[in-house]
Amino acid sequence: MKLPKIFLIAALPLVIACAQPLSAQDLGDTQLVHPSPDSWPSYHGDYSGRRHIHLTQINPQNVGNLTLAWAFQTNQPAQIKSSPLLVDGVLYFTVPDNVWAVDARSGHMIWHYNRPSKGEHIGHRGVAMYKGWLFFATPDAHLISLDAKDGKVRWDKLIADASRGYWSTMAPLVVKNHVIAGVGGDLDNLPGYLRSFDPETGATQWQWDVTPPAGTPNAATGGMTWMTGTYDPDLNLLYWGTGNPTPVLNGNPRPGENLYTCSIVALNPDDGKLAWGFSVSPHDTHDWDAVETPVLVDGKFQGQQRKMLVQTSRNGYFFVLDRTNGKSLLTIPYGPVNWSLGVDKQGHPIPDPAKEPAPDGRLVAPDEGGLTNYRAPSFDPKTGLFIVDAHPSYSIYFAKPADGAYGWAGADYGLWGKGVIEAIDYQTGKIRWSHEVGADGSGAGVMTTDSGLTFTGDGYGNVLALETSSGKTLWHAGTGPPMQSSPISYELDGRQYIVTSSGGVLFSWTLPERGKAAATRASTTPQ
Amino acid sequence: MDKVKNLKAFIISTAIVAGSLLFQFTQKPVHAAPQTEAAPQGSANSGKDPGAESYAQHCAICHGDQRQGILPGFPPLIGINSRMTDDKITQTVHAGKGRMPGFASLNDGELSALVHFLTTAEPSPQGNGAHGNAPWGVAEAGGALFQQNCAFCHGRDAMGGETGPDLTESKLVLSDKTGEKIAQVIREGRPDNRMPAFNLSSEEVGSIIAFIRAREAAAVARPGGRRGVAVADLQTGNVEAGRKYFDGPGGCGKCHSPNGDLAGVATRYEGLQLEERMLYPRGAKSTVTVTTASGQKISGTLAYLDEFTVALRDRDGIYHSWPISRVHYAVQSPVDAHAELFSKYTDDDIHNLMAYLQTLR
Repeated sequence: MKLPKIFLIAALPLVIACAQPLSAQDLGDTQLVHPSPDSWPSYHGDYSGRRHIHLTQINPQNVGNLTLAWAFQTNQPAQIKSSPLLVDGVLYFTVPDNVWAVDARSGHMIWHYNRPSKGEHIGHRGVAMYKGWLFFATPDAHLISLDAKDGKVRWDKLIADASRGYWSTMAPLVVKNHVIAGVGGDLDNLPGYLRSFDPETGATQWQWDVTPPAGTPNAATGGMTWMTGTYDPDLNLLYWGTGNPTPVLNGNPRPGENLYTCSIVALNPDDGKLAWGFSVSPHDTHDWDAVETPVLVDGKFQGQQRKMLVQTSRNGYFFVLDRTNGKSLLTIPYGPVNWSLGVDKQGHPIPDPAKEPAPDGRLVAPDEGGLTNYRAPSFDPKTGLFIVDAHPSYSIYFAKPADGAYGWAGADYGLWGKGVIEAIDYQTGKIRWSHEVGADGSGAGVMTTDSGLTFTGDGYGNVLALETSSGKTLWHAGTGPPMQSSPISYELDGRQYIVTSSGGVLFSWTLPERGKAAATRASTTPQ
Repeated sequence: MDKVKNLKAFIISTAIVAGSLLFQFTQKPVHAAPQTEAAPQGSANSGKDPGAESYAQHCAICHGDQRQGILPGFPPLIGINSRMTDDKITQTVHAGKGRMPGFASLNDGELSALVHFLTTAEPSPQGNGAHGNAPWGVAEAGGALFQQNCAFCHGRDAMGGETGPDLTESKLVLSDKTGEKIAQVIREGRPDNRMPAFNLSSEEVGSIIAFIRAREAAAVARPGGRRGVAVADLQTGNVEAGRKYFDGPGGCGKCHSPNGDLAGVATRYEGLQLEERMLYPRGAKSTVTVTTASGQKISGTLAYLDEFTVALRDRDGIYHSWPISRVHYAVQSPVDAHAELFSKYTDDDIHNLMAYLQTLR
């Protein structure tokens, strides 16, 4: 019997797949703690949240030659807001209800998982991975484990009850044998929490509640845990930011600081016990979730070696904490802030009651989207610069008794804003350089490299490569709608790639492979 | 006998309940995202209806198990009979259309069963007489879509939320009797207000509008307890102090005049809209003069500016663009004066200024 050639060719990858060791099926602890250059195995690339990579092939001298390696079209309207994972040559990324596995070398699709759901479809940040399993949170607040080989569902557990108003957009974090996932839900007075799942069975291991139970007199609900945290393996502490209290704009029914909403908390990942908590926006009435990346920085602070945690928070303040104990080292605004009376001795901003939402309106800076939002900042150890996509902005906030005490409970309107990439000296909070990226802001996250490059995007749809030391533009490419995700980078087969997104398209950039590929193609392509 | 009768009655009533449940269930996927847990069509029809089986075999892979479509590539087929005649459907299935392949191999029996299934197995939302012209079922289905796509910004009840305005008080919503303008905003978005465009079918857009209408009616039904910002809320300022601010520290008089551009401004805008325009008039035009390498000067309305490209529209409305590295350009942007005031205003200044502007009738 003679098989058509095409069959043999089609069967070849199968044979190869069977013959190779199953390296793709074992993403372990070591790789998560010390990711190799050919991987991006967790949301932030590593546990520190620095989004600083040690690759140097693409550098300030040659970045001008950067060219498109491939683009992947999702062919659906949702914007990509996720950070892809890269494990064993395969990229995994998401939009709400959808996961794609894409070959990181060629950009072709390996599989696509789609699960239509109810619930809030505002965005999606990506998946987590453990061994050969992916973990995907859904708009209806399920946590779904997929087989990374083919996207088949392995198990499906509830993170929260979507019918009560919860949703989930976040990329879970895998720490040892814990899959840690959080919740979103600002439209109702719901208690926020963080939950740890067993990666094998999906069983709940622990749950940490942000606030007292709903219905506790004078207590806030809220504190949604909708962004991925960071982890220090040496201290065995998990760091997580929590969202705003509810009701959102009406603070009257919830006097006091409303712990631990709008806070940075340190938890033991094995049992969910709180080690310390630091209130970033005591008694928030402006929707300023403190969920921005709690970046772990090791270095000198005013002459002393420290283990620090740094956050550019949505409320407009730059925080440096000692992450061993949660004590403040520095609290300073990094843009226009008019809602506080200053900073107290413990480093907490003091909210100005006159800037709480009122029936006739209050002019507030920053706006509700904040001085920054979920897109990741980056820390560059060489220059000591903490680089963030900032959004100086003003808005008016309203609240009156008729607005009630449930959910939003008021109204706010953005007036004006602009996008500025800011490079902050982490020891002083001084802004070393700023690079404007357009009216209304950019939305792109930031990634820095050891070669001295900063990758981000502007508000017009350009991907930018800046010189980290000066903020000067060295390369750009227009890709369509402005990037709403944070860039990642990896090296495969000796080539470094930068991956960015625009609208529903993923782009991979690399340096040209000089002459070689074109020559091979020319000699083998029949005319 | 009695037992048999009872059993019969039970079966009939069960069938009725199941039927109405089926109706309710099948209505949802019309507009909402397809439900993984609900498979009423398949379970009700598979093994019985050859049209449903044919659908499952040939069509569902693109148009969805529930005929909900997979947007944007594959349109929903629910209510297809309101958009296409049976003949047209038959022809499309047979011959294909665009990237849809033709299914010429279907025999006549299967083809007609399929067309019958597509056109009758489920009532289209508009065609449901029991619920009238604006059936709550449609609004409910629209509500599900609203929760997925709109609620984050406009609030679960459409009365305002994170960044998005109260739609039940929106002038556009209230004045748009046909729903055409609302549909346009949903489809095209409002780029200047950061509202994204949504790729939804006509039925889906219609159901969202029905939901907004239902919320509007509910909001009107609670006078006195109205949420959001009313004109009456913005009357705490002092006219005289506002006039002084206008002429003095505000510097408003440098560009504006109560007898010139602002004459009658309070008759054109009121309440929050007036205040927002006062604080920062979105969409205000800037002008630019570009000097080319050869020394030619071209002026016009600034059309685009990033760090690489500058563009303008000239007096004739023609668009021109240049790489910034090759030209010199100067932008005049008087609206920047509004942004510069933000760090200087007190809330009283704003309320006083508002009181003063409201006298300009």
